[in-house]
Amino acid sequence: MSPNTTSSTGKDKLIADEEKVLQAVILADSFNKRFKPLTTHKPRCLLPICNAPLLDWTFESLALAGVQEIFVICRSHAELVKTAIKNSKWSKPGAGLKIVPIVTAKETFTPGDAMRDIYTHGIITSDFVLVTGDLVSNIHIGDVVREHKERRKTDKDAIMTMVVKQSGVNHRTRSKGDSAVFVIDPETSKCLHYEAVTGYPPKKYASIPREILNEHPEVEIRNDLIDCSIDICSVEVPSLFQDNFDYGDVRRDFVHGVLTSDLLMKSIYCYIAKEGYAARVRDTRSYDSISKDILARWTFPLVPDDNHPGGHSYEHLRGNKYIAKDNSVILSRTCKIGNNTLIGSKSQIADNAQVTASVLGQRCIVGAGSIVRNSYLFDGAVIGPNCVVEHSIIGSGVHIKERTHVERGCLIADGVVVGPQAKLAPFSRLSKRRQDSDEEDDEFEDAEEQFEEEEDGDDESEDGDDEDEVDSELEDVEANQDPEALAKLGSDTNAIIWPLPVVDEDEAIDDLEHPDNQRLMRIGDNASDLVLSDPGSVTSSESESESDDDDDDEHFYDSNPASSTTSLPLSTPSNLVAQADSAVISEFQQEVKQSLDRAFAEGHSVDNAAVELKTLRMASNVSLRLVREAVIAAMVSRIKIIAGGGIPQRQEIASMIARWGGLIDKIGGVDPVETVEILQEYSASSDRLPLFGQILAALYQDDIVDEDDIRAWHGKSKSQGQGVKPASLQDCYNKCWVTGAHMIKQFDEQDSDEESEEDSDEGSETSEPAVKIPVTKELPSAGENSSEEGSCEESSDEEDEGDTDEDDSE
Amino acid sequence: MATDSLSVANQRVVDTLAARLRRRQVVGSRETALETVLVLRQVISKARFSNIDQLVEIIRSVGRKLVEAQPKEHTVGNTVRKVLHHIREEYHTASKGTAVVSTSKDTLSIAKFVLQGQPRKQNVPQKTTLNESHDMLKENDADDPDAFARTLKPVLMEAIQDVLDELETVHDNISKNAKDHIHSDEIILTIGKSSTVEAFLKAAAPYRKYTVIVADTAPSYGGHDMAQSLSSAGISTVLVPDSSIYALMSRINKVMIGAHAILANGGMFAITGSLLVATAARAHSTPVVVCAGQFKLTPQWNLYHEYGALDFADPSSVLGFEEGNLVDKVDVVNPFYDYVRPELIDAFITNDGDHPPSSVYRLIKEAYDDEDYEL
Repeated sequence: MSPNTTSSTGKDKLIADEEKVLQAVILADSFNKRFKPLTTHKPRCLLPICNAPLLDWTFESLALAGVQEIFVICRSHAELVKTAIKNSKWSKPGAGLKIVPIVTAKETFTPGDAMRDIYTHGIITSDFVLVTGDLVSNIHIGDVVREHKERRKTDKDAIMTMVVKQSGVNHRTRSKGDSAVFVIDPETSKCLHYEAVTGYPPKKYASIPREILNEHPEVEIRNDLIDCSIDICSVEVPSLFQDNFDYGDVRRDFVHGVLTSDLLMKSIYCYIAKEGYAARVRDTRSYDSISKDILARWTFPLVPDDNHPGGHSYEHLRGNKYIAKDNSVILSRTCKIGNNTLIGSKSQIADNAQVTASVLGQRCIVGAGSIVRNSYLFDGAVIGPNCVVEHSIIGSGVHIKERTHVERGCLIADGVVVGPQAKLAPFSRLSKRRQDSDEEDDEFEDAEEQFEEEEDGDDESEDGDDEDEVDSELEDVEANQDPEALAKLGSDTNAIIWPLPVVDEDEAIDDLEHPDNQRLMRIGDNASDLVLSDPGSVTSSESESESDDDDDDEHFYDSNPASSTTSLPLSTPSNLVAQADSAVISEFQQEVKQSLDRAFAEGHSVDNAAVELKTLRMASNVSLRLVREAVIAAMVSRIKIIAGGGIPQRQEIASMIARWGGLIDKIGGVDPVETVEILQEYSASSDRLPLFGQILAALYQDDIVDEDDIRAWHGKSKSQGQGVKPASLQDCYNKCWVTGAHMIKQFDEQDSDEESEEDSDEGSETSEPAVKIPVTKELPSAGENSSEEGSCEESSDEEDEGDTDEDDSE
Repeated sequence: MATDSLSVANQRVVDTLAARLRRRQVVGSRETALETVLVLRQVISKARFSNIDQLVEIIRSVGRKLVEAQPKEHTVGNTVRKVLHHIREEYHTASKGTAVVSTSKDTLSIAKFVLQGQPRKQNVPQKTTLNESHDMLKENDADDPDAFARTLKPVLMEAIQDVLDELETVHDNISKNAKDHIHSDEIILTIGKSSTVEAFLKAAAPYRKYTVIVADTAPSYGGHDMAQSLSSAGISTVLVPDSSIYALMSRINKVMIGAHAILANGGMFAITGSLLVATAARAHSTPVVVCAGQFKLTPQWNLYHEYGALDFADPSSVLGFEEGNLVDKVDVVNPFYDYVRPELIDAFITNDGDHPPSSVYRLIKEAYDDEDYEL
């Protein structure tokens, strides 16, 4: 890009001390649908909170931090975002900000995809601030950046600093459905472990890797932090996303992945903000709580009467009431304005109306005798006389006609007309029918079909924003309307009802996006509702707060990063074993066999074969052991049995091992003990049992296994054939074990007798310590965790290893 | 017209300060006043104008913008008014020779007010008189539109330098007479950290031996810094909690506090807790003395907040954000300034002499032109 031009345009005293331009990246897309249907025609970042678009709050937060160059990554409704940026005060020359909107492809489904896009654009030149487009913050990000840079000077591997804010577990701004446990070293504030927590099903355990406790004498395990989604990232962060194409979410995939990988050797730090406020509008519930925080002035000086990002000015009255300053608000003498209320300009509140803890946009009208409580009315919403609106978000231009009751949790999209005398069920979601047909409710559905064609055309021209997915979604919703429910919306309505989210059993759904978990993120929803609707569950606000020390094993989720990144339902370790028998694995074995056949037949190099195997393994996400089994099986089965045995046989084996033996260690992890085990297992069940000793000797000669490994294998009870079911097989196992025992005896003799030979052995050993160090590291973990969990962790570790290996080769 | 005449560079300077004011990156009455003067100086030096009305309009538009950005920092508006006043004065001197005798530079006292009667006539220049006085200044010269600016600018710069100097020397001027106000063995109570009061007390320290009791001024705890600063200057200092102010008041000889803004009726906005101190002092008939620079004189009244505050800061200093359970259930109010009524104040010590609250309106009339009250 052009850092020169920015530095010249933004030359203020404010940032004169910064030698480099501070860049920020805003992910302006939410990548989820929690605000539907409010977001059907508008991206979330343009929804107003306290009468200013969320994006403006984000810009203000960044401007406060001294950021000068901002890249806005937009996906859905990108044109709208672009125009909004162009027309905002931030594009004016005096703003000191340079804002570059970047439109990504429609196929960008996760923040990770967006990060990869950033990488390919190559716009990042130095450490940058990564935020989402729905941030409200007054934290001095500049301080965090300084701290981050300071740390980078001493520790090049510190790639990221996450900003978190201390709050109580039950803080209203802390999302119950989407929070996390942070394990932090209190001294260095290094983040040691990150585990995402979903509210429902309640998470009972957080598993912390043993090594963390070994390496750090003091750790803090925090479940009371609000994740502000402000990250100070180093330049290599986008490239890490690029390298690991399966990273989706910044937190649950990237942070977790980096922290659990023992090969990336990167570290992430936390900045626990003592002062200031930062939170992100993740969902309608946090929309509610952040609105309240703004009105209660926690975001000071980012408050409506002081530094309103939308540029409005409000008068602050006692009890945190904010009334637009331009004398255009008409309040009836008998109306009641409660605490924590914001009323936009040109709004009118009629006689005996009550407005409490609500935000009214501009040009809103509240009719006589109506009650508006804990609700958010966007610009131009009209509430007729004698209505009740509670805990709801009402879109702009909505008209709620007289005597209508809007229960808590309703989301009413722009332009809907409801009533008169309608009663909306709690949590209804309404949007406008795409064309106001004159047909009445009874023939509604038929009419809909007929109008389909024209409507499509209409919509396209109206928006200029080809939202095919939205259209198809709307069509879906429109096609499945319940005429009875519609009839309840009053005679003048133009609304369609969005169905409640249902669990689709076939579809693998993320825990986070599970409808029950989503409920914890809905405005006006309390946990007791969840208990009512689902008597079997134990979710309530009380039990959630104790979710960490509860003992219920049912909802244990392992920390395997693979489980969160892939769509495979590999969520519990107990499942994992069952999974091992599944079709996936047999298919994998089939493919590995074919791949190896090809490699042997066409004489590929060892490296190429290894890459192929790694790709296969990642594609089907199976444990490393399976690959090892396949490789050894393929090799051993290709050794010709030469009738006479003796030297020709030995040569045959040696040539095979010399040619292909290297592959065993190149498949993504080195574990010679396992190699011997597998060799034993395979030999025992095949006709190549007599060759076991010779093959083992050949492996030893080629340094694929060494003396200690054979001893370790020999020491295991399973190696003697204990617990192996068919008795015949047990014999075979035993034979192998005896062969091994002979070998060890030989070693012992060698040790005592021939010291000169040992010297040469030592020489060969020292030549490759690089291989051995990971071996000794991995051994204890494999030994200690004999359970399935152990193997699964191991596999995840090694998967990362595989990833990086492959990338290096690329 | 106003915005058109502002050049791009000026626009940016103004916008930057407006943004910093809005974001509260510049706080404190003196700092904001200084920043405002600097911006105005830059604006005037770059502005193009061919008569006085254009110039006034330029400055006013800048002032409006800055005041809108942060209406709670009254000194911004005051400084703009002051600059306008000086500009008009310079203009009149230049155009009419020595038409108006400037009295504002003399030290004023109540006695002088009475003697002088009407201090000076208002400088509301009539259009007709303006156009007659072309002998020295060429206004609206079609051939050379910059001629007017060229002649006037040096004087204007000087005038602004005067305002700047006044701001920079304000503490010295106020504390000039400190030893006449503080007597030996007195016990003085103060609240908050006002740099004016701090300078004043320190100025008296070499001559008098006295004790200062500092209230700790929750929740900003500016009193802590104040106490530290005073005691390091060798003044015997006692730090007390706000709650004991009333109990201690019977032993106190004098209350000295700072102001955020002095209003036209003689009342003032001051750090929260000042009302408590002033009321307690009234109950014990202890004199309340306010130390403040003249730039804090504000031609406004407190219309809306009879007793309440002007500005509410964020609640986190009262209730920690980590008290998650409480945050949802209680409304926390953290007023930053108190409004202190004129009846509770005995005297203002300014860089322009000592005045009772009842004569503040007079000072305001002196300092600013009537037409600028609304910017």
